[in-house]
Amino acid sequence: MSEMWINMGPQHPMTHGLWNLRVKIDGELIVDVDPEMGYLHRGIEKISEDRHYNEVITLMDRTCYVAGMAWEHLYVIASEQALGVEAPERAQYIRVMADEFQRIASHIMWYAAFVQDVGLMSPFLYGMRDRDLVLDLFQSFTGGRLTYEYNRVGGVRNDMPPGFTDRARKVLDWLMDRFVEYDHLCLGSDIFRRRCDQLGVLTAHDAIAYGVTGPMLRGAGVKRDLRKDRPYAAYDRVEFDIATASAADVTSRYLVRMEEMRQSVRIIRQTLDWLDHHPGPVIADRLPKWLGAPYAPVGREGYLLRRNYPKGVGFSSVEEPHGEAQAYVVNEGSEHPYRVKFRSPVFANLAACKKYMIGYRVADIPPIMGSVDICVGEVDR
Amino acid sequence: MEPNEVEARLRPVLGDRLLSVDPFVGTAGKVRFRPEGALDLFRAVRDQLGFLHLSMVAGVDWVDRREVVYVAWSDTVRQYLMLSADLPADAAHIESAVPVWPAANWHEREAFELLAIQFDHHPDLRHLLTPEGYEFHPLLRSFKLHEPEELEVKTRNV
Repeated sequence: MSEMWINMGPQHPMTHGLWNLRVKIDGELIVDVDPEMGYLHRGIEKISEDRHYNEVITLMDRTCYVAGMAWEHLYVIASEQALGVEAPERAQYIRVMADEFQRIASHIMWYAAFVQDVGLMSPFLYGMRDRDLVLDLFQSFTGGRLTYEYNRVGGVRNDMPPGFTDRARKVLDWLMDRFVEYDHLCLGSDIFRRRCDQLGVLTAHDAIAYGVTGPMLRGAGVKRDLRKDRPYAAYDRVEFDIATASAADVTSRYLVRMEEMRQSVRIIRQTLDWLDHHPGPVIADRLPKWLGAPYAPVGREGYLLRRNYPKGVGFSSVEEPHGEAQAYVVNEGSEHPYRVKFRSPVFANLAACKKYMIGYRVADIPPIMGSVDICVGEVDR
Repeated sequence: MEPNEVEARLRPVLGDRLLSVDPFVGTAGKVRFRPEGALDLFRAVRDQLGFLHLSMVAGVDWVDRREVVYVAWSDTVRQYLMLSADLPADAAHIESAVPVWPAANWHEREAFELLAIQFDHHPDLRHLLTPEGYEFHPLLRSFKLHEPEELEVKTRNV
């Protein structure tokens, strides 16, 4: 048989974003793969060097457009560290709650898209319907459905609206019932099992060597979650378990993400109870003036007043829905970050693709790539 | 793991190629080393200290020099470790970490195209995010935004 390269993308139903998967095939067999990225490279790291600290948050929402809240959180932790600011406790709990709602929204989005890749249409519609309820909650306290601009260096922009916690609890109850249905639809489906079991196997050893994180790593049986290993915000004050599975294949990644959503519900319930009983400020009251008001950025002329900005390097990492995201923010005594570097979990997960794709067949590509949960926005940045 | 423990375990391997181990908030420390000790350091950090996981490779352009920062993670001590080397700006090159951590592959490709850092013996040092033939290095400080750039993109034969 002769081997040939085929392009899956940049426009292809499998890609879920703008990128090109070049596949070398021998008949039906995948011999080599070479992802071609950069179609969505907007230079977010470069633009950040030209922006005021709080203005970068706008870009963070666009970095990963299905997990904006987690990326905002990542960036503000690093900036707070670099600038020596601390967020009040209530803001920490709100951030945890918002992150976990974001995780649910992102995982449901993944579920909807992935199951459609496998060939089931109805779960897509159910998934999008339920995700909308979470987005409604986001809208009620941030004003945005995808791009929130809610976190601020030093806290969050505003407190919860009245009655929010009750509405949130209702949504959580509804979602917990739906997760049972999701499992029935997928794990009970013969088509799904045949297309996903023992596919795209990435062993724990390879996953660690290639820097794979998140549900792909936990699906290989490695119990690693930054929320437990290196707790940030209020994660050390809530109870939850790390979801793992052992088969390291596409089905295990499905199982891990489903269990993670249930754990997220558990975390959110605890934070809602806490928020009900602990009113307080949501943004640090002693913020440096040049950092801008919590509601609106100060005008350009406001920046010129400041003379001695603090210097420092901030490093943060959060467990984003896709895995482990990191930010490295260098502050060199000006109103802009000197250098911002983001580590995207999908970037690393995708870089390992030779390990979990070679040897499978062309028809296996959509389920395998679907199980990676690709968000091109954060790969290309 | 504390910075002084990291230094005590790395010093016998690297000698004076290890410059210092400074404390860094939230991590096991920031190891500063000479670029010629790169591969020995990576091996020692992975095999002796147990940092099996390379998270990212970041580059910083300090105009007079270029800093490259590696972030590694250990599952046993549950901590990050930063490794940082200063490269001369006119000949910024360092040994590739791919033989030790395959995870470095794409991160180094990114630093290569955006920050003009050459990684010696990298298996596949092509452009990743910018098109093939793109001759600018956008993350250098000399690359200013808001200025028109003239760009001719060579198409790639597929």
